[in-house]
Amino acid sequence: MGEKILEVRDLTKYFEVSNGLFRKKKYVHAVEKVSFDVYKSETLGIVGESGSGKSTLGRVLLKLIKQTSGKVFYNGQDIMQLNSKEFGKIRRELQMVFQDPYASLNPRIKIGDSIAEPLIANCISTNYAEAKKKVYELLDLVGLQPESYERYPYEFSGGQRQRISIARALVLEPKILVCDEAVSALDVSVQAQILNLFNSLKKKLDLTYLFISHDLSVVKHISDRIMVMYLGEIMELATTDQIFSKTYHPYTEALISAIPDPAERGRKKRIILEGDITSPIDPPPGCRFSGRCFKTMEICKYQHPELIEVEPGHFVRCHLYSERKGDC
Amino acid sequence: MEKRTFCKTFFKNKPAVIGLFGVLLIALSGILAPFIVPYPTGYGTEILEPPSAEHWFGTDGLGLDVFAQVVWGARTSLYVSLMAVLVAAVIGIPAGLLSGYKKGIIGSAIDAVIDIFLTLPVLPLMIVIAAIVGSSINNVAIVIGLFSWPSLARVTRNSTMKISEMQFIEAARCLGIPSRKILFKHILLNIVGPVLVNLTLVMATAVLSESSLSFLGLGDPTTWSWGTILKKAWDAGAVIDTPNPWWWWFFTSFSIMVYVICFNLLGNGINDALNPKTRE
Repeated sequence: MGEKILEVRDLTKYFEVSNGLFRKKKYVHAVEKVSFDVYKSETLGIVGESGSGKSTLGRVLLKLIKQTSGKVFYNGQDIMQLNSKEFGKIRRELQMVFQDPYASLNPRIKIGDSIAEPLIANCISTNYAEAKKKVYELLDLVGLQPESYERYPYEFSGGQRQRISIARALVLEPKILVCDEAVSALDVSVQAQILNLFNSLKKKLDLTYLFISHDLSVVKHISDRIMVMYLGEIMELATTDQIFSKTYHPYTEALISAIPDPAERGRKKRIILEGDITSPIDPPPGCRFSGRCFKTMEICKYQHPELIEVEPGHFVRCHLYSERKGDC
Repeated sequence: MEKRTFCKTFFKNKPAVIGLFGVLLIALSGILAPFIVPYPTGYGTEILEPPSAEHWFGTDGLGLDVFAQVVWGARTSLYVSLMAVLVAAVIGIPAGLLSGYKKGIIGSAIDAVIDIFLTLPVLPLMIVIAAIVGSSINNVAIVIGLFSWPSLARVTRNSTMKISEMQFIEAARCLGIPSRKILFKHILLNIVGPVLVNLTLVMATAVLSESSLSFLGLGDPTTWSWGTILKKAWDAGAVIDTPNPWWWWFFTSFSIMVYVICFNLLGNGINDALNPKTRE
């Protein structure tokens, strides 16, 4: 693996939930003490069901939401401490592709202008003629006709809009691209096209991806490493090969068993998790997954497991593999 | 999609078309007043003549043509309401955008100011301030504008809050677009509809306020406005006299009513045409 481009240390984000002036304040633990590294030119897939904090994590990393605590080092510099003016120069290197292609483009602005605007705003191009040239290059890069420049978002399909969003995210020549559920709003056939586009762009532009999705099959297709999140915590983190060849965490096992596989239809045993994700408001002390885990033990209910390295580069947060296993 | 469906729905809506027609009629008569009738000034010989072919709306106690007064009054009313709208827009739109977009202290503070202004007894305060600053058309217009911005700010704020949650605003922030541009380009472009509707309503209420102030003698006595005509009629006892020279006050009151109703119809029409739910 290459050099570290992003180091995340104990990143935490709580959202305050206030129900009334005099009630005790409650907090949604959206992201809790998350630490991981991102290596240059890799694709790190982040999976988890809705409410697992993966989108919040992406937004906190790009400083779209302020973190509660923790540090994020980008090329060795803690970007969480920078004010918005200092961050301005770095911001262009960290960009995002959003989930909903129907909501992420301003409906009243021509798509060419939508893509050109960041160039002017960040003083990369001084005039629109110069910016326009760049926009045409990008439209070509993501597979759109140059005529698209003069059109409005409603004239495009979901897949085309996502191509526009990608072009817009790439216009500032980012180093890291956070893709937040970037294909989940699209049809399966279009998903494949966009995933292939992501793969080819990565090779051409030497990008690093943080690929957030709830769909493990999508993440498997594109990622070098996979991080599984549940209720704001990392449950398992390993390379894609490791995670699929030897799954440690029961939650990951359940997720993998849910991937549809036409070859094994009916023969594969699926693990069905009972109930819904636990409320992230002031979660209980034990393992966050213990309420739904099919391998739950007594210790899981009161003791919080740590993230431990079970194999080189393979991290798991589960009492099944902790040294204290013998205690109970 | 946008412009063509808008026009199509708008022109299918009969009250809206009537409103537009009325507004255009009043606007044209105001703008073209010098070419329609001469400015009513001095004294006439035919005093208190009922409506006739020569004097469509009759004549007043000084023998001046009431039709001429109403047409020139439209000019003043139009000018005052446009000025008032301008003042209201300059204050109300930025205030609404800021309070809707900026969360935290700035947003809440502006919102509190809007709330306070909305609870003020507007007419008595306008009377007091108009009396202090003196009666000129511009003063009256500015005073009306200063009291009309809160409703506009409130509408702008609510629409802004809705748009601020959209992903393209987050995307714009992510791309390093400055807040100023996000507010006045990305958000404003998307809330033009409700803001426009509210501006037409401000036009309507502004003319009512102007008439009230002029009627109370706080307007500009040297120009003809609808309120001034009514004041003169009232002072001359024309409203309660018998036999009653009804044409003196009726046509003016009717004009005010038409103006207010037409602007309201126009506003509703724009609103319905912009709202996808009411589109057929």
